[in-house]
Amino acid sequence: VLGSLITFGKGKDFMGTVAQKRLRTRSLGVRLSKDTRWQRDIAGWLFLLPAVILFFLFAWHPIVQGVIYSFQNVKLQGETTWIGLRNYERMLADPVFGQTWLNAIQFTLISITIGFLSPIIVAVCVNEMRVAKGFFRLVYFLPSVIPGVVSLLIWREIYSANNGILNEALKLLGAPPQLWLQNPALVKFSLVIIMTWGGFGGSVLVYLAALQDIPAELYEASEIDGADPFARLWYMTLPHLRPLMTVLLILQILGMMQVFMEPYILTNGGPVNSTMTPVLAIYTRAFTNADYGLASAWSVTLMLVLLVISIVYFAVNRANERKRS
Amino acid sequence: MQNSWDRGILTSMDLRRTEGRIIYICIVIFLVLLAFTTIFPFIFSLTAGLKTSVEYARSGINLFPAVPQWQNYEVVFDRINIPRTFANTMIIAVGELTMQLTVSTLAAYSLSRLKPRGWRVIMVAFMATIMIPGIAYFVPLYVNVVRLGLINSYFGLWLPAGVNAFVILLLKNFYDSLPQELFDAAKIDGASPLRILWSVALPLARPIYIVLIITGFLGSWNSYLWPMLVLRTATDMHPVSVAIQGLTQSFPINIRLAAYTVAAIPPLLVAILTQRYLRRGLSLGIH
Repeated sequence: VLGSLITFGKGKDFMGTVAQKRLRTRSLGVRLSKDTRWQRDIAGWLFLLPAVILFFLFAWHPIVQGVIYSFQNVKLQGETTWIGLRNYERMLADPVFGQTWLNAIQFTLISITIGFLSPIIVAVCVNEMRVAKGFFRLVYFLPSVIPGVVSLLIWREIYSANNGILNEALKLLGAPPQLWLQNPALVKFSLVIIMTWGGFGGSVLVYLAALQDIPAELYEASEIDGADPFARLWYMTLPHLRPLMTVLLILQILGMMQVFMEPYILTNGGPVNSTMTPVLAIYTRAFTNADYGLASAWSVTLMLVLLVISIVYFAVNRANERKRS
Repeated sequence: MQNSWDRGILTSMDLRRTEGRIIYICIVIFLVLLAFTTIFPFIFSLTAGLKTSVEYARSGINLFPAVPQWQNYEVVFDRINIPRTFANTMIIAVGELTMQLTVSTLAAYSLSRLKPRGWRVIMVAFMATIMIPGIAYFVPLYVNVVRLGLINSYFGLWLPAGVNAFVILLLKNFYDSLPQELFDAAKIDGASPLRILWSVALPLARPIYIVLIITGFLGSWNSYLWPMLVLRTATDMHPVSVAIQGLTQSFPINIRLAAYTVAAIPPLLVAILTQRYLRRGLSLGIH
């Protein structure tokens, strides 16, 4: 959702002109009397009411309630009691707590290594194509529309330790088979490969849109100066993508703090907690152990981390927009 | 102004030189290999779903079955009841979209045009929820849904879908961009706010709604965690992704892979047929 905020201003101009055509000039300068102002308040509030009710029940209240729960022993049936900081004490005493955040950081680092530059490279390459540009743009995007569960279940068979197709391919090349999902040293890498496969196509589309904004005159000027293709790439193309890179990097970090599906479906946090992520830990505490208070203490921690990253994101985004205008 | 859409970093001059050609051919080879790798899991699932279970278990790389076992797909349709789970998924998607678009449209129109006293406070309160991803409060959200008695009911999915500050922001920005005169004219004609929204604002916003409907459909088809929690024991209400995960172990692997293939086809088709709109959505910032 945050990613969606990058460029939403763009649609405006096009829409504005459509509206302008339908504009009727006779009504310029209408003044509203006090009476209609009052009526407009009522209509306005009636229009807002459904959203306000739903936001209260399913966003504002749960956000506040989550903080309150973190200080309580929560029972779905029966009495909920205040227990002060005990949930937080239990959370910090749990060795899994440090492990999950360490895992989140490792996931982030691996994911940036594999997945940050690759969409840029692919987008630059697709942009060079004289034919079939649309085909490549579509193909790379397709994994992201396959339901996540379905992708993961297919990947589980590809990674399968006994006669999975990946190990069979290794055997053919004379390499030893690997325990892709059972080896603690390998499993994070295996999961990040799936995430990158599922997500890089979306980033390629975003970068492609930016590449197409580069005016041809810029390139032509540099050609007259005798810049070879690599110089053009380094001095014209990449600097143009810089602001977008920062934004997508922050979004990638934000996403890696919320990893859940991959370990939930494929490893259940194992082996030996090497893929236990903050969200999966919250899930097991809440829905396996019905320990909602403890899960809420974990959630508040996660909320703070995500909030900090979101604030950085909006600050960077605003700075980028100011630079552009 | 000509932009770089019809050229890249390489010019047609470069392409006539040897080194330019070599670079171009390398790029083509790289992209083709990558495209094959990208769709490989899907091809694997499609062809493995056409094998017998004995053939699937055989070692070595044999991507294609000797004799395609189309009856595997018949088994999937009968035993896993694909029509039922697809219908459930559609019921969920249509309900979620209806809720989300209705609620967000009314709210956005009010914040943009009616601006009742106190609208700024509500606006800030809506936008605050963008800063906190839903995953950070899904435990208390789940508790609320339990207490409201919405477990094992589609309303447990439909009602929370009405909460989407981003859609409100997007629509509000759009309505803000329309000239005020348009609305004043309708008002002088004596139209009610609902009437103005319906016949002046909505028709102009059609492209945005098309994009929101497509991405919303893909999103519903993809969602797993929340339907799994809300519809936990109501197995006959499960959407595709939850039903697919429930298959594990009770069916032979070749049948399961056939089922995965079937589950992936509708969203793939939608994405391929609507790629024009998906790309437009990207320029509106929806993805």
